[in-house]
Amino acid sequence: MVRKKVCEWKRLIAWSAVAVALMPASVLAQSQTKVTEWPSYAADLAGTRYRPLDQINASNFNDLEIAWRIKTDNFGDRPEYKLEGTPLMVNGVLYATAGSRRAVIALDPATGELLWIHGEHEGKRGGAAPRQLSGRGLAYWSEGKEERILYVTPGFRLICLDAKNGIRVPTFGNNGEVDLKLDDDQEILPDLITGEIGIQSAPVVAKDTVIIGAAFREGMTPRSMRNNKGYVRGFDVRTGKRLWIFHTIPKKGEFGYDTWEKGSAEYTGNTGMWTQLTVDEQLGLVYLPVESPTSDFYGGHRPGNNLFGETLVCVDLKTGERKWHFQLVHHPLWDMDISSAPILADITVDGKPVKAVAQPTKQGFLYVFDRVTGKPIWPIPEKPVEVGNVPGEWYSHTQPIPSKPPAYSRNGVSVDDLIDFTPALHERAKEIASHYHLGPVYAPPTVSKLEGPLGTLTLGTASGGTNWPGGSYDPETHIVYVYACNACVEPIGLVPAPKDISDLNYIAGTAGKEVQILKGPGENAGADAPKPPKKGPGSQYVPMNVDGLPLIKPPYGTITAINLDKGEFVWQIAHGETEDVVRNSPALKGMNIPRTGQETYNIGTLVTKTLVIAGEGHVTTTSDHPRGAMLRAYDKATGKEVGAVYMPAPQTGSPMTYMLNGRQYIVIAVSGGPYSGEYIAYTLSSND
Amino acid sequence: MKIRDLAIAIVGLAVIAASVCALRAQEPPSSERSVWDGVYTEEQAKRGEELYEKQCSPCHGDKLAGRESAPPLTGGAFLSNWNGLTLGDLFERVRKTMPQNAPGKLSRQQNADILAYMLSFNKFPAGKTELYRQAEMLKEIRFEATKPEAKK
Repeated sequence: MVRKKVCEWKRLIAWSAVAVALMPASVLAQSQTKVTEWPSYAADLAGTRYRPLDQINASNFNDLEIAWRIKTDNFGDRPEYKLEGTPLMVNGVLYATAGSRRAVIALDPATGELLWIHGEHEGKRGGAAPRQLSGRGLAYWSEGKEERILYVTPGFRLICLDAKNGIRVPTFGNNGEVDLKLDDDQEILPDLITGEIGIQSAPVVAKDTVIIGAAFREGMTPRSMRNNKGYVRGFDVRTGKRLWIFHTIPKKGEFGYDTWEKGSAEYTGNTGMWTQLTVDEQLGLVYLPVESPTSDFYGGHRPGNNLFGETLVCVDLKTGERKWHFQLVHHPLWDMDISSAPILADITVDGKPVKAVAQPTKQGFLYVFDRVTGKPIWPIPEKPVEVGNVPGEWYSHTQPIPSKPPAYSRNGVSVDDLIDFTPALHERAKEIASHYHLGPVYAPPTVSKLEGPLGTLTLGTASGGTNWPGGSYDPETHIVYVYACNACVEPIGLVPAPKDISDLNYIAGTAGKEVQILKGPGENAGADAPKPPKKGPGSQYVPMNVDGLPLIKPPYGTITAINLDKGEFVWQIAHGETEDVVRNSPALKGMNIPRTGQETYNIGTLVTKTLVIAGEGHVTTTSDHPRGAMLRAYDKATGKEVGAVYMPAPQTGSPMTYMLNGRQYIVIAVSGGPYSGEYIAYTLSSND
Repeated sequence: MKIRDLAIAIVGLAVIAASVCALRAQEPPSSERSVWDGVYTEEQAKRGEELYEKQCSPCHGDKLAGRESAPPLTGGAFLSNWNGLTLGDLFERVRKTMPQNAPGKLSRQQNADILAYMLSFNKFPAGKTELYRQAEMLKEIRFEATKPEAKK
C-alpha cells in the first residue's frame, strides 16, 4: 500500500525546470565579499539579520526608489496574498521562493530580470499539505564551482537544484529529491499523500549538512491526541543521505522519555521545529527551537513536563546528539512555540567574554544562555505560577522566569492593560474583560462557561510577542533588536470535545459556540463534506475591541533594543503608524495620541551599519501618504526615526539587503488584503 | 464644422447632464454610500453565516480571527487592509480566490451572503435591501472602518 503511494508521487511532474542561462556577464563577473551578500535566510547562520552596509543611511533613506519589483501571481495556479519569503543574494544572483506553487526563482539582483524558475507539481500531496504557499525561503551551498539551492516543497520533499540553472541535481537523493516523509523513525500516518507533516521555513546548510525540522496544522483543535511527530534531521548536502535525527519527543530509553507520563510519548505528536534554527559552525553546534506538543491548549493526555516541547535544544552538527537543553515552558499550555531563530552573540558580561545564544519568544522574554554549556547568563529561577482546574489537566506548579532582561512585551493581561484613552472606553473594556479570567504570564486556560469565565485573556501566547520573523543582532554593539506585538490578545477557552470530532477531552472553543475544528486551507470545504454540528444554546461572542478600538491600550507593537552585555533595554519605540481606526475615531477627536504602533505580530527587522529597518504590517491613510504602508528606518543607537519610504501593501516577509555594482539594495516581500504577493527592491537613484 | 453640429452636441450633452442630475437629486449620489448605510439585510447575513461556517471557518475560525494560515476577517488587520477601498474590491478578492482549495466555486449570491455576514460580524448595520451581487455595483459602496461623523 505504502509502496503504491510512493509510486504515485514519484510520477509527479517536474514543472518547467527551464534553464535560461541568461545571467549577465557583469553579474557573473561579480566578486563579492560575504559582507555584501545575504547568503542565508537570516543573513548568516547566527540569525543576526545584520549587514554592516551604510550606503543607505539616515541622510538618504527618504530618497529610496524602487529599483525593480516582481509580482508572484504567476508562480502557481492562483495568486498568493501571503508572501513571507526573504530572498538570498549570493555570487551575483538573487534567489527566492515565490507564489502559491512555492516556486524557486533566480533573479538578476540589479534589474529583477528572471533568470530561471523551478516548480514542482505535487498534486494531492501538495493540496493536502499542512503548510502551503510560498514558504519563507531557501538555502544556498557551494563548493568550488558547484552551487546548489535547497528548499522543501509544501508536500515535504527536499529538493536540490543546480543554482546556475534551476535543474535538479541528479546525484542528490533520488534524482534531486529526498522524500522527507520517509526515513523519519516513524511511519507518517495515514499515508504518504495525506499524512500530516510539512514545513514552511527555509532549510539551513551548515558545513555540509542540511538541517530540516517539521511543522503541522495549527494545534488548537486537533482531531486526536495522536499525531505524527516533528523530528529534526540532518542530511548530507552532497548525497541527500540522512546523517542524523533528533527525536523531539524521546523514544523509550532516551533522555526525557520519563517526562511523558502514562506512556504519552508513544502517541503524542507535533513538537516539531517549524521555524528557523541557528548554527555555530566553529563550535559545531546547532540550536533547535522546538514547538508545542499535541494539543496547544490542553495537555491532559500528556501528563508531565513534556521534553522537548517548547525547549531550546543544542545538538552536535555532525551527529545530532544532544549537548544541552533548556525547557522554556514546562508542560506547555499556551501555544508558546519557540517561534524564531535563536541569535548567536559573542558578548562581554562582567568583563568576561561569553559565547551566548539569545532566544526571543512569543512570551516577550529574551532567554540568554552560554551557548557552549547552556547555563543561563542571568539567573532564570523557577517561580510559582497559577495552577488551573481544567478536568484531567496536569499542571507544572513553577515556570522558569528570566531575571534579566525584563520582558520586552506584555505577556499577561490585567485591568491596567485595557484601553484607557477615556474613562468611558476603559469602563467598557473592563466589562468585556469581566467575562474572562485575567492574570500574569502563565495564567492557565479555563473551561469556557456561559456564566463566565469564557476563557483566559492572554497576551504573548499564540500570536506573540515575537513570532516567526524573530529578532536582529548587531555583533559590533552587542545589541538585539526585536519587534513584538504588544496587544495581540488571545482568549483561550476550552470546551469538551464532541466525540465525533475529537478524541481529546477538551479542545479550544467558546461556551455556546459551535465546536469548530481548524483545518488546513480549504480542507473539508468541498460540496460533500460533512455539515458542522449544530450550535449550542446561548451562543455568544464577545468582541476583542471597543467600538473598533483595540481592547488593549497602546503601544500595540514595539521594537526594543536590548544590550546583551548588560541585559538592559537601550530603547523601546512604538513601531508603525497609528491605526486609522484610532486616528479617525470620533470618540478620540481632539485628543493628542502619540504614535500607537500596530496590532500585528509578523514583523521582521533588518540591521545595517547605522539603521534598524522594518516595514509596517498594516495599511494606513494619512496626510503624509496615500493608502499604503511605510518601510521605516530608525537610528539604531537611539531608536529615533530617520526616514520612511512608501510601500503599496504591508510587509509580510522580513527585509534583506546587499551590495551589487557599488549600489546597496533592500528587498522586501509585501502582500495582504487586495494586494497579491510582490518582492520590491529599493535603492538610491543613480542621480543622487 | 459645423457650428450647427457643435451646437447640437452641446445641447445634447446638456440634456443628458440635466437628466443625470434629476436622477441623482432623488437620492444621495451612490459614491457617498458606505458600509455604514445598511447595505445588507439581517436575513442575508444569517444565510451568510451558514455558508461561512462551512466554507470559511475551517481556516478563518469561528470568531473570524484568522490564524497563521489565514488572515483575520475582523479587527485591526482586517479593517486596515480594506479601509478606503470598496466592497467591490473585497467581494472580488473573496470571489476569485476563495475558498483556497477551490477558488471561484461559490456563486455570486453565496459570496454576497458571506460578505453580508462579515459585515454583520464587524458590527456594520443591516438595512432593508440585500447586498448587490455585481462587483461593479459593490464598487460604489466604500469600506470605511470608522463611522463617518456627518452621517445622518
